[in-house]
Amino acid sequence: ATEEQARNRFQSELEFVQCLANPNYLNFLAQRGFLRERPFINYLKYLLYWKEPEYAKFLKYPHCLHMLELLQYEHFRKELVNAQCTKFIDEQQLLHWQHYSRKRTRLQQALAEQQQPQQQPPPHGNAAAK
Amino acid sequence: MAAAAAAPAAEKSTKDRLLSVLDDLEVLSRELIEMLALSRNQKLPQPGEDTQILELLVQRDREFQDLMEVAQQQGKVHQEMQLLEKEVEKRDSDIQQLQKQLKEAEHILATAVYQAKEKLKSIDKARKGSISSEEIIKYAHRISASNAVCAPLNWVPGDPRRPYPTDLEMRSGMLGHMANLPTNGVNGHLPGDALAAGRLPDVLTPHYPWQSSDVPVGMLPPHHGNDFGLEPPGHNKENEDDVEAMSTDSSSSSSDSD
Repeated sequence: ATEEQARNRFQSELEFVQCLANPNYLNFLAQRGFLRERPFINYLKYLLYWKEPEYAKFLKYPHCLHMLELLQYEHFRKELVNAQCTKFIDEQQLLHWQHYSRKRTRLQQALAEQQQPQQQPPPHGNAAAK
Repeated sequence: MAAAAAAPAAEKSTKDRLLSVLDDLEVLSRELIEMLALSRNQKLPQPGEDTQILELLVQRDREFQDLMEVAQQQGKVHQEMQLLEKEVEKRDSDIQQLQKQLKEAEHILATAVYQAKEKLKSIDKARKGSISSEEIIKYAHRISASNAVCAPLNWVPGDPRRPYPTDLEMRSGMLGHMANLPTNGVNGHLPGDALAAGRLPDVLTPHYPWQSSDVPVGMLPPHHGNDFGLEPPGHNKENEDDVEAMSTDSSSSSSDSD
């Protein structure tokens, strides 16, 4: 295999494994029967190498690793045919994705509320206090 | 009645011998006294009998004295034996004590060795997983700055950004171009997705950072034969029986699985 081929293979596998983070894409694959084909299942197992740190550092969408792990299970693969199932996964994924933003927003709000009472009492006319 | 000197099968104990000698003495002295009593009235029927009896008496007495000495010796020996037995007992208990302590020490050491080994194992494990902090920070920045793991603070429903590659990104990548999507097909489009297929002009190929352009030469994917149809070593997880419970509306034809 030439260097070019190796690079291409790396690139395509990198892209594909990250596509697995998309629940809609998983539904697409399931409905077309890919997830039942033995070669594809073997390929999914092969892709687990992306969990190693030296490969994982290239991933931009780490959610894909969790999906990849779940995809090793036949039960999960079967459920993905169901559009309601993947919709649910999508919703939960988004909520999880928003978790830290929400937390930070809440913190900022709480902080803002805390600082307000301190500004209530009027200054005693002595600017030297600052 | 003489005590046997050779080693007989059943040698009489000193006590028995003493008692038998005493019996002899008793008999002899009784005979003597009878004889003396008789000799008052009549003459001795046998002339040498009295001396004979006296001699026997003296002999028996001598035997008696000897036996008493033997008995005394034996008593001393017996006492020594008892002393030695006590010593042996003491030594025995000492040995048992040491045994207990040795067992305890062995147990403690075994525990210590085991824990040390566990520690070494975890040190090894930690060392294997060690990554430079710079790399970690770089990676953390990579996945955070692009909002891949944490939603942007101003995200509202309707925002097309997602924690996974969207249709747009997927099609503009290498795989998307390799697939050569037919214009009538909506392969990548799914219900619920805001971007419908066909809206994407071929000219538009933004280079999304989820593809890597800085792949080092040595970074090859692990070796695999091109035929994934062969069963790899080890089994798939959850080898349940294939229960056909799902219903698909599309016929499962084997299209390009790429």
